[in-house]
Amino acid sequence: MEQPVTVAIIEDHPVVAEGVASWIRSDPGQRVRLVQTARDLTGLSGVPGPSADVIILDLELSGELVTAQIPGLVAAGYRVVAFSGHSDPEIVMETLDNGAHAYVSKEEGRDHLVEAVLAAAADRPYVTRSQARAILADQRPARPALSEQERQALLLWFQGMSKASVGRRMSISENTVRQYISRARAKYAATGRPAPSKDALLTRAIEDGVIRPGEITPYRSFASAAADPSLGAPGQ
Amino acid sequence: MTAVQPTAMMSGRYQRAFTVAVVFLVAGWHLAGAGGQLLHNRAAYGSFAFQGAMWLVMALAITAGSVLVLRGAPGWRPAWAVALIALAASTAAAAASPDGQMLAVNWAWGSAGWIGVLVLFRRRFSELALFLAAEALATLGVLAWDGLNRAELAGFLAVLAWSTGAQVAVAAGVRALDVAAGHAAAAARSEHAARERAATAEIIAAARHARWLALQESAVPLIAELAVGTADPGDTQVRIRCAVQAARLRRLMAEGDQVPGSLVHELHASADVAERRGIAVEIETAGPLPQVPGPARRVITDAAITILTAARSQARITLAAVTAGIAVSFVTDTGAVVHLPAAGEGVAIQQQQDGGMFWAEARWNSL
Repeated sequence: MEQPVTVAIIEDHPVVAEGVASWIRSDPGQRVRLVQTARDLTGLSGVPGPSADVIILDLELSGELVTAQIPGLVAAGYRVVAFSGHSDPEIVMETLDNGAHAYVSKEEGRDHLVEAVLAAAADRPYVTRSQARAILADQRPARPALSEQERQALLLWFQGMSKASVGRRMSISENTVRQYISRARAKYAATGRPAPSKDALLTRAIEDGVIRPGEITPYRSFASAAADPSLGAPGQ
Repeated sequence: MTAVQPTAMMSGRYQRAFTVAVVFLVAGWHLAGAGGQLLHNRAAYGSFAFQGAMWLVMALAITAGSVLVLRGAPGWRPAWAVALIALAASTAAAAASPDGQMLAVNWAWGSAGWIGVLVLFRRRFSELALFLAAEALATLGVLAWDGLNRAELAGFLAVLAWSTGAQVAVAAGVRALDVAAGHAAAAARSEHAARERAATAEIIAAARHARWLALQESAVPLIAELAVGTADPGDTQVRIRCAVQAARLRRLMAEGDQVPGSLVHELHASADVAERRGIAVEIETAGPLPQVPGPARRVITDAAITILTAARSQARITLAAVTAGIAVSFVTDTGAVVHLPAAGEGVAIQQQQDGGMFWAEARWNSL
């Protein structure tokens, strides 16, 4: 049997941390193991090297947004899944741009948090409805170009359809729906601030055939990311 | 619409009053001033009948001109037609006056000038200046034809200064009043807009307060029951109650930027009814949404009400900006086919039933 993914929860409200722990415990495959719970980010320092595969990070700790701390966590080798009561598209975009793997709003937690953690551990794209919303709302001039199909799949997913229903609506397979949505997410990993987590996601997406290197909009070169000393070998 | 109407009405009202004043001034001048002079000097004219006929022609020109300006701003053709009739009649009257006495017995110059003011004062100022200059030159021409002497030239210049000066002053004054009326109307408009904003803020605050009060009656007792243990979180009914209250709380927090009359606001109002039946409704928007016209909004909210009525326990409504329009979608557990009201007004509705889940999208296109 595969080793369970290890996870740390950074959450200042004990009752929320307890709820997340219960979702992890109730996963039938026991695919995730909770190794640490901390009320702030200082709890992580002092441990050499990442103490968990994935961090579930509440974006608001003691009343302060901690999106700016994400690049540091990512550079230290963590994969970050943001878990937040906020759902403003700007905050979602900033979080992803800073290198977080996925964004799960508190309303989406029960259905998506464990899956998002597993996807992050495997460097695979995971797109929640709040992420789809932020992508659809994105008006920035430097946003990546999405195809009509990718946009339509994201729109129907944001609207609340299951991926199987989206497939029926678009007359394509559920797998192709996942492909479109993942490709849109991968295109975002290729833009903005360089981060090892984004490179890992892109590498994995190319390996999985989600996206071809030619489809990546070259807003930044890989050379600049490769020069980053914090970048290790892309994870498998 | 409501913000513009009072301004246009107010500015229009002032302008009409100024027009009526000019009509009275011109008609009064022709009747009392010109008519009085004509009667007073009736013995001096070669043919009093001809002078009277010209006076009547100009009276008809004033009538026509008054009708034109009271109906609205006349075009250049009718305005200049009236002005040229007045110019021709006044020149003919002047030419038919006895030699050497023309200025003394002339009644027509002043009236012609006033008729020019009547039909041209809201047109470009250069048109009125051109007309008054043409009228003055015609009069001077008649004088020169009769043989101009120094005394007559001085008399001509005196009448020119007095009469044309008065006409220019009146035309300029009315235009200045027009501008002032525009300013007054603009000031009234901004005051009206401020009042409307205040009223809007009051409506929003009142609606929010009402919802807050409703939460006191619904969410607070539920939390109290959970706290003392009389409500069991494991009970499905309790979980549904929690979901509904959570949806209401979320909406209360998300309502900072809404104005009455917007589609989002109306959908919230539609959702309220469903929530009272215990349906957990969530509403989300993506992207800057375009303004949707009233009739199209009605088609969309009619569909919303029909769908929410069929919902069993939950509904998700989303509004997303799409190319040239907006896509409003509904995903809910109706369990059965929903018969939607007719589309139209630029709104196309699509639907899909998938097991127990129902999806519908109303797409409004501005093109």
